[in-house]
Amino acid sequence: MAPQSRLRRRSLAALTAVLAVLLAACAPAHPNSIFHSHTDFNREVDHLWTLLIGLGSVVFVFVETLLLITLIKFRKREGQPAPAQTHGNTRMEIAWTAIPALILAVIAVPTVRTIFRTEAPAAADALQVTVIGHQWWWEFQYPQYGITTANELYLPIGRTVNFTLKTADVIHSFWVPELGGKRDLVSNHTNYLWFTPDSVGDDVFNGFCAEYCGMSHANMRFKVFTVKPGEFADWAKHEAEPAAALDTAAKPAAPAGKPAMPAVQVAQAAPSTESFVSFPRKDIPAYAVPQTPLPAGLTFDRSLVGDPVAGAKLVQQPTTMCMACHAIKGNPMMQGVLGPNLTHVASRTTIAGGLYPNDKEHLELWIKNARVMKPGVLMYTLGAGEIDPATGKPTEMGKLTDQQIADIVAYLQTLK
Amino acid sequence: MATTAAAPPYVATREASNTGLWSWITTVDHKRIGALYLVTALIFFLIGGIEAEIIRLQLMQPNGTVVSAYTYNELFTMHGTTMIFLAVMPLSAAFFNFLVPLQIGARDVAFPRLNAFSYWVFLFGGLFINASWLLHAAPDGGWFGYAPLTTMQFNPGLNIDFWVLGIQILGVSSLAAAFNFITTIINMRAPGMQLMRMPMFTWMAFIVQFLLILAFPVITIALVFLQFDRFFGTQFYELAAGADPLLWQHLFWIFGHPEVYILILPAFGLVSEVLPTFSGKPLFGYPVMVYSGMLIAFLGFGVWAHHMFAVGMGPIADSVFGVTTLLIGIPTGVKIFNWIFTMWGGNVRFTVAAKFAIALIALFTIGGISGVMHASPPADLQQTDSYFVVAHFHYVLFGGSMMGIFAGIYYYYPKITGRLMSEKLGNWHFWLTFIGMNLTFFPMHFSGLAGMPRRIYRYDAGQGFTTYNEISSWGAYILAVATLFFVWNFVRSRKRGAVAGHNPWNAPSLEWSIPSPPPDYNYAVIPTVSSRYPLWDHKGAVVEFHEGEPIKTARELGIPMPFPTIKPLFTALFMTLMFTGLLFIHKNNWPMAYTFMFGGAAGMVASLYSWLLSPLE
Repeated sequence: MAPQSRLRRRSLAALTAVLAVLLAACAPAHPNSIFHSHTDFNREVDHLWTLLIGLGSVVFVFVETLLLITLIKFRKREGQPAPAQTHGNTRMEIAWTAIPALILAVIAVPTVRTIFRTEAPAAADALQVTVIGHQWWWEFQYPQYGITTANELYLPIGRTVNFTLKTADVIHSFWVPELGGKRDLVSNHTNYLWFTPDSVGDDVFNGFCAEYCGMSHANMRFKVFTVKPGEFADWAKHEAEPAAALDTAAKPAAPAGKPAMPAVQVAQAAPSTESFVSFPRKDIPAYAVPQTPLPAGLTFDRSLVGDPVAGAKLVQQPTTMCMACHAIKGNPMMQGVLGPNLTHVASRTTIAGGLYPNDKEHLELWIKNARVMKPGVLMYTLGAGEIDPATGKPTEMGKLTDQQIADIVAYLQTLK
Repeated sequence: MATTAAAPPYVATREASNTGLWSWITTVDHKRIGALYLVTALIFFLIGGIEAEIIRLQLMQPNGTVVSAYTYNELFTMHGTTMIFLAVMPLSAAFFNFLVPLQIGARDVAFPRLNAFSYWVFLFGGLFINASWLLHAAPDGGWFGYAPLTTMQFNPGLNIDFWVLGIQILGVSSLAAAFNFITTIINMRAPGMQLMRMPMFTWMAFIVQFLLILAFPVITIALVFLQFDRFFGTQFYELAAGADPLLWQHLFWIFGHPEVYILILPAFGLVSEVLPTFSGKPLFGYPVMVYSGMLIAFLGFGVWAHHMFAVGMGPIADSVFGVTTLLIGIPTGVKIFNWIFTMWGGNVRFTVAAKFAIALIALFTIGGISGVMHASPPADLQQTDSYFVVAHFHYVLFGGSMMGIFAGIYYYYPKITGRLMSEKLGNWHFWLTFIGMNLTFFPMHFSGLAGMPRRIYRYDAGQGFTTYNEISSWGAYILAVATLFFVWNFVRSRKRGAVAGHNPWNAPSLEWSIPSPPPDYNYAVIPTVSSRYPLWDHKGAVVEFHEGEPIKTARELGIPMPFPTIKPLFTALFMTLMFTGLLFIHKNNWPMAYTFMFGGAAGMVASLYSWLLSPLE
């Protein structure tokens, strides 16, 4: 049967080529790999993985080799006598019942031990973080520090963090592959997940929603920054404070009549009252910077210079709709809870559930037509004359001019 | 009944026509219904395949823009729904229909008209779900349809309505067929065809019918809740009323996990027919193969929550479901070794059918190993809802079910049509499928471990996902080419394939003793069986057909045949129209809603009465 064995040789060559490609594919960096032992959780799972992959490989090689030997050895040849009509062999069948059972027992014991270890209650002194899933962004609360923020977590290195997981709507799943396993955010349930990021430095990790949650499931991402404990304390102190920039903007209200006053000056004024200036984080690695392409057809007059003072007034006008969903601590007019808390929005690196970088360009387009920027999003299309993709008609909400949007963005950028 | 052993002195009042469209839509012959299932399911398989190819086009590069988020969500939902409910299940049903009566030496199934009804319900249910594409309102809640995402609050469009009602309709088809086959297998075996002499495919079919009648009512309840929530304002999944979304998940997976075995056991059965024939040896460890099939089915009802390790069930439930899931590995492993040792010591002929069967052993093993990895809950928390799981279940369902079904198609095509499929085209199909399948799905293990979640329509570059996705997409394109070879072979061989004869493979079981294609009455003389491999052992009273012998008609032999009838088709059609009426409720078109619902119900009841009052034969 020469042609068949040639075929087999060819297919073996093809398989080798495939494996080579796959191995080559392992070369590029894997910034979200589950195999990085940054936390106690992942180290526990790593032990299981070593066992599972080890035993799995042995079984794989054994079965496939046995199969190949059988195929080669017992392929039909010319003039062969009819094979013996065996019907079975009890002893062999007992063997291949017992041996897999033994292998599975070897897996079961450490599995159950690890379940009880990883699902035990977290240490009492753990950092408590409440995670609330929303279609399609993440609300993070630090009840011990009075902080409410969105889409970006700061975690102190070496301290256990206990997540209390809830959802405001449908089921989501909280997943930072490099730090721990998933845990679902189930409606009308409270779940818990804890890990200790103890073998990390100043680093940033990508988080994902891992449970299909509707239209923009793919656009529901977040970041985790691990920072030194001292830095975390500074960050927490700062985040807990009311929006300082609003006061700064309110005080120079009179001189702000000069429209030429650049927003940058106001922005610089805010941190001067702060000791903590290391965020938003500089030098973010490329894998943590969103690269979402801008939707076609959405334009903005980039020559406009925003006036933060005008912007501060605009956000608290009911007609702009901002107050319907957003809160800014320290501003009694801004008490919305449906959208991300904006108190320190400028201290974040991303907007829109980790979908876009947090810069002037993206903020402007976002406010102008969020529904084009992110499919299905709750936030209204606010730009005057913009088509709302949900209705296919020009929006009835906000009707903001580009200048008004530029003003709002200038104000938001002061909210360090 | 049409199956009495000896032909009674009876003259059929009329001869059923065997040609023309009318003969197909009125047929109650299990073989022709099997052929209808086969062709219909293959068309749905192609549709599901096109959906998969668009998914792969979208994911081939970071931030793909081939389709929108909305369309992508429709595509993966419909890909899963189509492949499970409209391709693999009915492909198995095609073989149940065609083979079970032949393998047990019967003249038809117990309820031939109910059998026709099952097919028509399946067809209309499939068309119903797919009609949603015309409104660009295809289901977009995932094949698992998790509440509360599928409730009116979060998905007010028609998308989920089509899905809920479509799956309900398809459930009717599966249940009717399951009762039919159980009755057939229990009551209509030829003399001497003891249970432990039945061919392994019939055994697996028998087990699967029990899975169907135990699992489908559970999903039916879950769907009724959702349907009532959506149409009549009940609050089973209403969050504001304090609903627990885990209700849906438990109900769904109590159905959903046995469903996995509903999808794989028929393929195991087919492979257990193909391998002995092409090894020239009996199946190794027949009793153990039967018991392991039963054990898989039994354990399959005790593992559902391993789909839910991330929902926070607590350590005790996680441990229990982890360990029961590991247990399923044992009977499955036994099957793998028994197949290998069926070939061991034999003279293995590498026909295309044999190659697909061998590929099932090789590929299902990989899916089994990754399955064991999921069974360890802490490790599963890093795997679930990532591409690692996508890799796993495609090794099980494509590498397992589809490979087994392809083996079955190449093996039984000559029995169904009287002609062989081309081995040359079949080899192209096999090797391209084998290579394309591994290229598509093996890299998904890596993209999953690299942190890629499932069901995302786009991803950024630099995440470690891009290369794997590119390879997966190229693999998928190879699969598309492979499938073209298959389609061409399937269509071409119908008229131009080599004439097969009644037993082209020197196979041992009853169905190969009669002409290809079999006459409508199957067996001129009902065989008496005294061994598992009657055509090899030459024991028992089995009349083997001799090529060239004239084939008599049922009338000449005095065999009573059931009348062809269109009534099951009408019953199925009116039932589907009745369901369609509900769709108009959400369009606030009450006149249309009432017309369809009450008209459909009246039509269904009238057709059913007319059907039940007309004599069978």
